[in-house]
Amino acid sequence: MRKFIFIAVLALLCSSGLLGQNFVTKNGNIRFYSEGKIEKIEAMNHQVNAAMNSQTGDFVFKVLMKSFQFEKALMQEHFNENYVESDKFPTATFLGKVANIKDVNFTKDGSYPATVEGKLTIHGVSHDVKATGTFEVKKDVVQGKAKFFVTLADYNINIPSAVVSNIAKAVEVTVDVTLEKFNK
Amino acid sequence: MKTWMKVIAGFAVVGIIAAVLIFKFVVNKPHPDYEKMSPDYTMHAQDLYNAFKNKKDASSKLYNGKVVQIDGTLARVEAKDSLVIVVFSFTQGMFGDEGIRCTMIKKLSGEAKSLVPSGSVKIKGYCTGYNDTDVILEQCSVVY
Repeated sequence: MRKFIFIAVLALLCSSGLLGQNFVTKNGNIRFYSEGKIEKIEAMNHQVNAAMNSQTGDFVFKVLMKSFQFEKALMQEHFNENYVESDKFPTATFLGKVANIKDVNFTKDGSYPATVEGKLTIHGVSHDVKATGTFEVKKDVVQGKAKFFVTLADYNINIPSAVVSNIAKAVEVTVDVTLEKFNK
Repeated sequence: MKTWMKVIAGFAVVGIIAAVLIFKFVVNKPHPDYEKMSPDYTMHAQDLYNAFKNKKDASSKLYNGKVVQIDGTLARVEAKDSLVIVVFSFTQGMFGDEGIRCTMIKKLSGEAKSLVPSGSVKIKGYCTGYNDTDVILEQCSVVY
């Protein structure tokens, strides 16, 4: 069902391109960072699909969980096998909007504060999230950056008691996407 | 030294050695060397893409988390910051071409940049899945 919703939103973005301009990337970056009592854990994903429409503000991204790279192999293994169960839930998605899209002038280079709201789905569970960030416009390229926190328990991600002090209850998620104008 | 002290000292030494080995080979074990690993599957790039496109769930169970070696015609090589991605393109989707995107192992990026578009190439990598537009392979290397 979520796949169909994601595709429907993508189709909407495509059709709304008639009214606005679509900006896309397949190399978006997502980093998550956790500072527990014993260690800091960081993972990066450089293959994030993201798209935005400059008229409607529709903003979507999709990421494969197995593409998150950790410094420690054992942590990557635990992340996939035990925490996010990436075999059962291979992707995370965000479907939302830039709430203040009218405040972003895509025809004038500059930095514009932005608020993005929508539904984040991880581990098969969806929650409304809101993030503030910036859009850096430079000719036909828009670099979007935002940071927000995800409480693992909200997404039914259970950390074993043996390592619970290693991982913060809420992890910091940083999204950094360089969107390019899509000319069909 | 009394016998019981020798026994305790012996256990302590064994315990320390075990702890060091567990730390080295379990807690701090290295990432798999995907360049040296044998592939779990070898196939044409088009076949891998079609498998995910047409039977996503079944293909995810088969290929996700496995080392896959593919051969096909290279569409292009993308380079951004320190990332080099080798691209096979098969269809046109809502936002450009769709196919297979292979992120190269960093130390092999230079080699990948010298690949010629429209030429035949074999790539091996760790399949992380299909995101409804492309099949993604990570930790990739060119196979000669």
